[in-house]
Amino acid sequence: MDLTRRDFLKGAAAVAAALGCELPGVRRVQRALGAGDDAGLPVVWLQGQSCSGCSISLMNSIEYGSIRDLLVETLDLEFHRTLMAASGDLAVSAAEDAYEAGGYALIVEGSIPLGAGGRYCMLWPEMTALDGVRRFARRASFVIGVGTCGAYGGLVAGAPNPTRARGLGTRFAGKTVINIPGCPSHPDWIVGTVGHLIAHGSAPKLDRYGRPEMFYGQQVHRRCPRRGTPAAHTLSDSGCLRHLGCKGPWARADCPVRRWNAAESGEAGVNWCVGAGSPCYGCTEPTFPDRMSPFYDLEA
Amino acid sequence: MVKAVNVSPMTRIEGHLDIEVDIEQFNGQWRVIDARCAGVMFRGFETILAGRDPRDATHYTQRICGVCPVSHAMAASMAMEDAFDVAAPDNGRLLRNLVLGANFIQSHVLHFYHLSAPDYVDTSGVLDRSPWIPRHTAEDMIGGDDAATIVGHYLQALEIRRKAHQMGAIFGGRLPGACNFVPGGSTCRFDRQQIDEFAALLTEIRQFIDEVYVPDVRALAGHFTAFTQLGQGPRNLLAYGVFDLDAAGADRLLARGRYEGETDSYHDVDALKIKEYVTHSWFTPVCGDRHPSEGVTEPDVDKQGAYSFIKAPRYEGAVYELGPLARMWVNGDYRKGISAIHRIEARALEAKKIADAMVGWLEQLQVGQAVYAHAATPTAATGTGLTEAPRGALGHWLGIEEGKIAHYQVITPTAWNASPTDGLEQFGAIEDALIQTPVRDSENPVELMRIVHSFDPCLACAVHMARPGRRARRIHVAG
Repeated sequence: MDLTRRDFLKGAAAVAAALGCELPGVRRVQRALGAGDDAGLPVVWLQGQSCSGCSISLMNSIEYGSIRDLLVETLDLEFHRTLMAASGDLAVSAAEDAYEAGGYALIVEGSIPLGAGGRYCMLWPEMTALDGVRRFARRASFVIGVGTCGAYGGLVAGAPNPTRARGLGTRFAGKTVINIPGCPSHPDWIVGTVGHLIAHGSAPKLDRYGRPEMFYGQQVHRRCPRRGTPAAHTLSDSGCLRHLGCKGPWARADCPVRRWNAAESGEAGVNWCVGAGSPCYGCTEPTFPDRMSPFYDLEA
Repeated sequence: MVKAVNVSPMTRIEGHLDIEVDIEQFNGQWRVIDARCAGVMFRGFETILAGRDPRDATHYTQRICGVCPVSHAMAASMAMEDAFDVAAPDNGRLLRNLVLGANFIQSHVLHFYHLSAPDYVDTSGVLDRSPWIPRHTAEDMIGGDDAATIVGHYLQALEIRRKAHQMGAIFGGRLPGACNFVPGGSTCRFDRQQIDEFAALLTEIRQFIDEVYVPDVRALAGHFTAFTQLGQGPRNLLAYGVFDLDAAGADRLLARGRYEGETDSYHDVDALKIKEYVTHSWFTPVCGDRHPSEGVTEPDVDKQGAYSFIKAPRYEGAVYELGPLARMWVNGDYRKGISAIHRIEARALEAKKIADAMVGWLEQLQVGQAVYAHAATPTAATGTGLTEAPRGALGHWLGIEEGKIAHYQVITPTAWNASPTDGLEQFGAIEDALIQTPVRDSENPVELMRIVHSFDPCLACAVHMARPGRRARRIHVAG
C-alpha cells in the first residue's frame, strides 16, 4: 500500500504553509530584512571532513525550488568550494569579504576534526576547519549543520573516531545550531529550513537535537507503508523489514511521505530506502552509525 | 628566477586539494618546472570499518564520496561476492548497472558544466552574482553570445543531472547514496511502470547528451586547441573495466586493460602488481611498497620531504592515469590524443556510450524474476572488487575474520591521479600533467585549473584512508 499523491500533498502543503511563501519570491522578504534589491540570503558554506554528498543532494532540490532558483534568485552563495568560480586566494577573499559584511547563514557540511590541532582538515592554507568554523560562526546570523556529519559527527565520528571528529551539536560558538541531518540530508529539509529562515527571520521549531520538527518530528516507522504487512524473510521480499535490521522505529524523518528524488514539485519522490527494499539504517539520528549498526540482520 | 604559484584551495573539485607549482621564465614565458599535488583532509575509514559487519561496507564506503558513491557500493558488493562466493542473478546485475550508469551520467554532466566550464567561459554580463563572482579572467575565454549560450546550457545541465539522479533512484531508492546494492544483487523488486519511468528519463537525458553536451564539448575542443597539447601527463592509462555484460563478469561495456605510452602497446591488468608507496606521503616507511591486501597505514607527521596524505599507487612501479580517457582508450573507442581537452572529450563520449547501452539493459530486465541471491557471511574469507568510478579505476580489498571486517583497503582513482611523487622521483599523474604548462598570469592561473580539472579530481576518495599527522609547513611566495 503506497501513500497516494493526495496524502503526500496534504503533508507537504502543511510544510509549505509553515514557510510562508514560495522560495523564488523571497527577494521581497530579503529586502525587508535589509538586503539590497538583487541580494539573496548570504550563505557561507564550509566543508569539513565532507564527502560532498549533502551538496550533491542539495543540487537535487525541486519541491521548494530548484538549485537554479536558489543560486540565481534566492541565495547569495558567497563561498562554496564545489561550485564557486574562484580558486586559491581569490576564493579565500570571497569568504573573508562575507565575514566582514556579516549576517550570513553559516552552513557546515562534514565533521570537524579536533585531533592533531585540527589539522586533519584544512579549509585553506593556515586555516583548519576547526578555526574556520569557529571564526565564521562569530558573525553569522544563523549557524546550520547540514548532514549527520555536520550536525553530530556522523560516520566520520564512528568508533574509534580516529580524527576526533565532531559535529556542531546543538550549540556552537554561543549560538543555537539548526541541524539538518541525514546521510545525505534531503534537499527539501535543507531548502525548506532555509526558506523558513528567510520568510520568518528565525528558525522553525527545533527538537532537542536541533532538528526542525516539521521534517524530523516522527519516526519513519509511524508512517511506513510496509507497517503492519507480513514480515519479509530475506532481502528483496516485499513486506515489513523489521526482521532484517530496519531502524525505522527509531529514526526520525519524513522519508516515507516525502520520499526521495521527486520528478517535480508537488510530487512525492520516485522511491526511498525501504521502498527499494533496504532496511532503514537510521541516518538522521545523532547515534548514526554506531547505535544503528549493524545495518542488516540477515543471519537468523 | 623561480616563483611559486599556489592554487590553494583548488575549488570545483570534490574535497580538499592544494596545488603548488614552481614556475620559471624561458624566453619571456613562464612555465611550470615543478608541481606538488596535496590532499589535506583525513578521516580514517580503514580504522572506522575494522570490526564491523562486512555487509555494512556498501553503505560506509559510499560515504567516502558523495559524487561517486554508487561505484563504492558496486566495488563493496563485488568484494563481498568474491568473499562470500555468491553471484548476483541477471536482474540484480542489470539493476546495479543501471543505477551505476545513471550516476556516471550525472557525474560527467556535473563535471563538464558545473566544475569545468567556468575555467573556459567569461560569464560577466550573464552571471554577475556569487558563486560565479569573484572569478578568474583570461584572454582566451569564450565571451559574448557564445558565453550566454553555454551559461544557458549550464543552467539546463543543473536540471539534467538532477533527472539523472531521479532516474537512478527509481531502482536505487535514493541518490546520492543508493541503498539497493548488496552482495548477491539488488534489494529492489521492480515493475513495468518503473521500467517505463526510467526509460522516459533516459530518452530525455540521451537527447541532452547528443544535442547539447557532446556538441558543447566539440566546440570547446575547437576553440581551445592549445589545450590539446597541454596536460599530457604520464601517457600510461589503466582501467579495471566496468558494467558487466554477462553473469561471469568476463565481458564488460568498458574493458579492463593498460596502455603504455612509451611503447604504444596494450597489456592486461594483474591487480597483484599494484603497490602503494609513501616516500613523499606522511606515513612511516613500513607502509610503503605494499599490495593493498596487506596495506598498513601509520602516520609519520615529521617525515622529511613528505607533503601529502595521499599514498602513491603504482603498477609495476610505473605511474598511470585513470579515468574516462583511460577507459575509452583501452576499449578502443577514443584514441585521438592525451591532453586536458582529450580528457574532457572522452568523458562526454563515454557518457553517450553508457547512456546508449542502458537502453538495452532496461530491455533485458525481467519483471518477476529474482534480483537477489542470498549467501551467509563467511567466518573467514578475502575478497576483491574491481570496478570504475566516473574518475577512474576503483578497487576494494576485504579481509573477514570471525565474521567481521578485519581489513578493508580502498584505492580510488584520484589516489592514482592526485598522488604525490614516489620514491623513484616520478611525479603523480596530475603533477606530471602540470609540468611545462605556461602560466600567463599567476593571479589568474587558469591554465593550471584547466589541467587539474580535466582529471575530475575527487579528494575525499583520495585521502579516505589517510592517517593523522602534522602538515609540513609550506612557504607561500607572492606571485
